[in-house]
Formats: sequence, structure tokens, C-alpha cells
Amino acid sequence: MSAPDLRVNIGGLTLRNPVMLASGAFGYGDEFAGLADYGELGALVLKTITLEPRAGNPPASRTAETPAGMVNSIGLENVGLEAFVREKLPMALSYGTAVIASIAGDTPEEFAACARRLDRCEVAAVEINISCPNVQQGGMAFGVDAEASAEVVRAVRSATRRPIIAKLTPNVTDICSIAKACEAAGADAVALTNTFSAMVINVETRQPVLAANTGGLSGPAIRPAAVLRVFQAARAVSVPVVGMGGVWNASDALEFILAGATAVAIGTALYADPAVGNRVLAGIRDYLVRHRLAGIRELIGAVELR
Amino acid sequence: MAGPDRGRAVYRLQAPILESARLPGGHHRLVVRAPVIGAAARPGQFLHVWCHDPATIAYPPSAAVLRRPYGISRVWSQEAVEILLRVRGVGGRVLAGRRAGECLDIIGPLGHGFHISEGLRVAVIVAGGSGLAPVPFLVETLVARGIRAVLLAGAADDEKIPFAVDRPSGTLTGPLGVQKGGQPGRATLLALEALGAEVTFVSEAVEGLLVSEVLESHLGELSGDGAEVMAIGPRAMLKRIVALTDGCLPVQVSLEERMACGLGACRSCVVPVRHQEDLVYRTVCRDGPVFRGSEIAWELLEP
Repeated sequence: MSAPDLRVNIGGLTLRNPVMLASGAFGYGDEFAGLADYGELGALVLKTITLEPRAGNPPASRTAETPAGMVNSIGLENVGLEAFVREKLPMALSYGTAVIASIAGDTPEEFAACARRLDRCEVAAVEINISCPNVQQGGMAFGVDAEASAEVVRAVRSATRRPIIAKLTPNVTDICSIAKACEAAGADAVALTNTFSAMVINVETRQPVLAANTGGLSGPAIRPAAVLRVFQAARAVSVPVVGMGGVWNASDALEFILAGATAVAIGTALYADPAVGNRVLAGIRDYLVRHRLAGIRELIGAVELR
Repeated sequence: MAGPDRGRAVYRLQAPILESARLPGGHHRLVVRAPVIGAAARPGQFLHVWCHDPATIAYPPSAAVLRRPYGISRVWSQEAVEILLRVRGVGGRVLAGRRAGECLDIIGPLGHGFHISEGLRVAVIVAGGSGLAPVPFLVETLVARGIRAVLLAGAADDEKIPFAVDRPSGTLTGPLGVQKGGQPGRATLLALEALGAEVTFVSEAVEGLLVSEVLESHLGELSGDGAEVMAIGPRAMLKRIVALTDGCLPVQVSLEERMACGLGACRSCVVPVRHQEDLVYRTVCRDGPVFRGSEIAWELLEP
């Protein structure tokens, strides 16, 4: 039997396989150089950038470890669009696979300005971060509102020819309505979920552990909740869904795919295992062979409900 | 210290555990075989350690889901690397249960360690509490280069450090016993004297002194051309030392902060640093953990 076909299509962008590294966790990519073969993966989503550099939230602490997960409140610290294009992007592109830029802003116009500049770069797609829970303006404030989400997507749509992936927050009553609004506004794909809003308190000091008081929970702790939201969103929209939330191994990734994800992104697990993407990819390949499947696409949304 | 790190050599290894030993005071020693890391490591750099059995890395643990950073304590013949940890949280407990013959999943050597300048003649190492763990590697490196290593070590009590305290009978307690420096009655750490350091140890519990007070009383004789302070320990101690030495001795400080990636990607472990006219955030894991004491914006750092 020939090797299984791992290729997937995300809004016109063909990925060599469905394994992506998630925005934020993978930094700008250069930090992980030498620790795994990142060029083997389907796509690398780089840390969210904004028009101007941002310092992010106060330190001490920005991260707290929790059972099977972590809560972070980095607050979109980033080098800004120009430094990203000049200093960061070339290194990430040198891995030799699709590089996806993630953008954010306080207004739809700021998103559009980033997208317009990136349209002249070799990014394979643009991810719209309307789901960061750790900034006062923008971020999740867009993503919890269907019309505000659509407005950002429309602004970016008018600014770029690249595929647009809208990254959604799970901190809403009905993620399907947000996904549908993004699709109607011109998104080529939706990605979910970003982190779940969360808080950790140090009982000795009676203060929150995070300097920003609250943050976003990621890691295996959120996986089943994220799988459900991917399942729901994939049935609500016809564009591809990128699934994420606590993926640690191939079985986790396959859960998202069976639930309806076309591709899967990995974040928190990178901190434990910088080669997690390669390990997940190898496991997916083994699974396809073991189940005598010709390709990964047969599995997308193939969960058999009871 | 911050600077270009092109060509940095960082390795991830499944390193065989050669020794796993419980030490007094709830401390633990782990020695792993890691030649490439041992050959590349510099004092002040750290390992990012996966606490659990590497064979189970495909299964997410419910506790200690992140790696733990540990300063490199010793490098043995460039072959083996040692860390000393205080067993407190869940990660330390898991690590202390690991046995010789198993493997340890480590990434390293990470970060910028202590800068040993050409003109350095006397290194005054000021170390407090668990900050003493990486000191043997620093002392050994300095002594091998012919640099005098004066170690002023302190802790709340003897149990808080990973080395045995030697107090000759008839120890004088209180400031007098210490100020005699080098005289009988001075508490010391024989393990570090054996490496060539001139050691003075004080505990708040016995001598009733802070290590920064010892530094203060010796500042005059230690200051001078070719002398530099290298400080590692609690933040309050580092802050006092930078203030004490302001204008008379250059200081390098090794900082700790909560980390996730250990590689500079996640931006968890940032500290405020003065860069030209600006305040910027630098990562402890990659730009540090060793910084110049004068570049840190101490007023913005929580204790």
C-alpha cells in the first residue's frame, strides 16, 4: 500500500500535512531552532504581531502552571509589524514549510494595515487573532461579538489576497454564531479554540498569581471542551476548521479531526516536548496505515455519533 | 548576559542518570551523562528539565506539565552534568524519585551565564539559599583560570542550602565571629573550599547575619581593580547588593523567574531592563539569567 496522503486544504492553501504549531507557543520560530525538524510540519503559525511593538502585560507572573495545563497572560508582547517582517519572518521561512502570520489590533483598520503589509511577504496565510483574553482593547473584545468579528474579517479581506483564518475564543455562549459571521464576512477558515479565561490565586498572599489578575487556560485540561467546540463549529460552517486546545499526542489530534477539524495546531505541549509536532505527525501516519486509510481527509468530521 | 547568541549550541538529550541522591535538608543531587552539554556549558547557564520518565512524554501528566529550570551545579570532566535541587513542589518530588539507570529529558545549556572578563582578578561571589546550587561550577571555572574566588554565602538556616555547613567547635556567633574572616570560628562550606574558594558562611539563625551585611563589612578590602561581584540568590538580597556596591564594584546578578518554554519564545519570564533611554522587557531564560546589576530596573521588580 502506498504512503497515506496527508495533504489538507485550508481555504485554498494546501498543507503537506495537518499538523500546525500554534501562535504564541512557537514564538517567532527562531527560538526553537535546532530542537526538531519544523520544516516537516504542515504549517507554523508565528506569534501575534501588531502594527507597533507592544511591551505586553506586567511581569511576575505572566504564567502559572495548573493541573494538566497553564494559565498565561502575556498580553501580546511583540516586536511590531516592521521588525517582524525584517528580522523574524526570514528565519521562520527558512524552515521550508508554510508560515502563517497572526495579527491583532485595536481597530479593524489596524488589522487591515498589518494584512496589507504582509500581502507583500511570503506568508502562506493570515490568522486574525480576535480571541486574545489578555488585552484591554481589541483581542477577545472583537471575538465575543459576531458583528465586531465580521467587521475585522471584512477589513482584512479587503486588504489581502491571502487565505484568512479567523481565530476564535471559546469564551462565548455560542461559538457557532461567531464562526458563521466570520465565514459570511469572507474568512477562508476558522481556528478554535484560543484559551479559556481563567484565574489562579495564591492562598498565602491572597493575590492572583498573574500580575494581570486573569489569563487564559491552555493545555490538556481544555482538550475535551475544545473538541466539542470544534465539533459544533464544523457543523455550523462550510469553511475548514483548524482545531486546537491541549493536543499532546496523535490520538488527541485525531479527536479534533474526527470532530471536524481539517488541520490541528499544537501549543502548550511544545514547552514539554519541542518535537511534539513531529511525534504527532508520525502517530497520525501510523494510524492511517493501521486503519488502511488512503488519506487523512477521509477522517475529517468522521466521528460516528452514538 | 544579553548579547548576540548566534550559533548558540542548544541540545535536547535523553541523558542517562548516573546518580540520584537525597541530601540533607530536603535537597537532592542528580548527575546525568551529557557530554555535548557538559562541553558547551558555562557557569550560570541552566538546564530545562522534564521531570517525568521520558518514555511517557506522549502522555500528558496532570502535574508538572511544564519543564523546570535548574542551574548547572557541576560539570564532571565535560562528560557529566550535575544539578542540585530543593525538593519542594511537585516537580522536585517527581525528579527526586527518578533513579540511576533511567534517563532524564534535558534541554541545555540555556541562557547567558556569568561573564568572566579578561581583567578579572577577584570574583566576590555572593550567594544566598538555593542560589548556592550553581556556585561550584562557577568557582571551579574561576579557579581554573587563576582568578581568586571569594565566596560569601548565606541562608536563613543551615537546612536551606545544598551543602553541609562546617562550624568548628568554639564558634563565635554574632558579627565578631564573622568579621574575623579567615580566623578559627568562621563557619564554612568545606565542599566549596575544596574547589578553591575562600568561603564565609552565615545563617540568620546562628550567626544572625545576612550575607549582604558580610559583604558590606568587607567591601573596602574587596574593592579594587580587577574585582567584581557575582550574586545569585533571593531578589531582596540581589537588590541590597546592587545598592551596596553602587559605584565601587561592578555586579552581575543571576535572576529567577517563572518560565514556560525556557527558550525565549513564550515571554513568560521577562524582567524590566534599562536599554539606552528606554525600559524594555528582557527574558530571564534567554537574555539572562545573568544580567548586569545596573541594567535591571529594580524599582519595578517585585521582591
